[in-house]
Amino acid sequence: MTDPSSSVPTAAMDRHHPQAWREAVRTGMPTLFGIAAWGLVVGVAMVKSGLTVPQALAMTLLVFAGSAQLAALPLIATGAPISVIFLTAVVVNLRFVIFSALLAPHFAHLPWRQRLLLGYVSGDLAVALFLQKYPDATPQAGKLSYLKGLIYPNWSAWQVGSIIGICVGSTVPPEWGLGFAGTLAIVCVMIPLVAGVPALCGVVVAGAVAVATFGMPYKLGLLVAVVAGMAAAMLVESAMTRLWSRHD
Amino acid sequence: MTDLEIWIVIGALVLATATARSSLWLIGHHINIPKRVQDMLRYAPACALAAIIGPDLLLSPAGYIVFDLSNIKLLSGVAATLYYLLRRNMLETIIFGMVCFTALRLA
Repeated sequence: MTDPSSSVPTAAMDRHHPQAWREAVRTGMPTLFGIAAWGLVVGVAMVKSGLTVPQALAMTLLVFAGSAQLAALPLIATGAPISVIFLTAVVVNLRFVIFSALLAPHFAHLPWRQRLLLGYVSGDLAVALFLQKYPDATPQAGKLSYLKGLIYPNWSAWQVGSIIGICVGSTVPPEWGLGFAGTLAIVCVMIPLVAGVPALCGVVVAGAVAVATFGMPYKLGLLVAVVAGMAAAMLVESAMTRLWSRHD
Repeated sequence: MTDLEIWIVIGALVLATATARSSLWLIGHHINIPKRVQDMLRYAPACALAAIIGPDLLLSPAGYIVFDLSNIKLLSGVAATLYYLLRRNMLETIIFGMVCFTALRLA
């Protein structure tokens, strides 16, 4: 039997936790349709920009970064220098630096190979859904299973959609607007994160700045928008705090 | 672009993605983020998601802002948002939004 006097060892905390796994799979399930549809669109786009089927398959299985892939494709098609394509992908992916700063402290105790892999497959939706359930980094049993329950189905749905897209290629009519399902999935993940006035202001500013800066090279506008949104949320938050403290 | 160059690009994309996603995971225990920055980072995911969908909802394929009833993505997006706020069900919301989009497109 377990010794009640000892604290929970980390190994026990990271053991497979069926309940957390099932909960994560249930939570992520509704997003999978949108993810697969989004993957399908990227799959079709890869083949249409002139990649061969093995190249497209390698790109989806190895890169697994939809927005970076979509940003790189027109550059590949026009024969842009590899350094420019690399820079574009880094910038488009910069939001993941912010995400991983939030997520990595939860799993700092794991072996480096596992951290490398977990970080690599944690996409936008998985990070958002995980942080909704576990906002702070205190160790807790089932966290690892919860993350895996989010990212494994997410990765699989993306790959299934993407591989179908690569195979059917140009036969899906673009006017069906399948990519829009991905946008709708993001809407559903974003709404619960918008708790309170500061977050709402941040989201509005980020969206507006992203639209205004869409023409910036290398998708830099995306990063500018995130920073502007965060700054707006912080300003509103501190203004509200000051207002409250004056009333007290 | 030659076949070999495309393979090199794929390698570059792997490297770019790994750098962004995994480097802070590898640093692990050494990250010590100031409280103020942490507070700010709390808003990052919602802002990043808004920044990804904003252009898709508001810009025409040619890159112009379309803010009227002819923008069927915006209309469907607003309808889907309201649906989600009422029902809190993601799959239903996605299907509802796609049905709106398709109906408006064919109308």
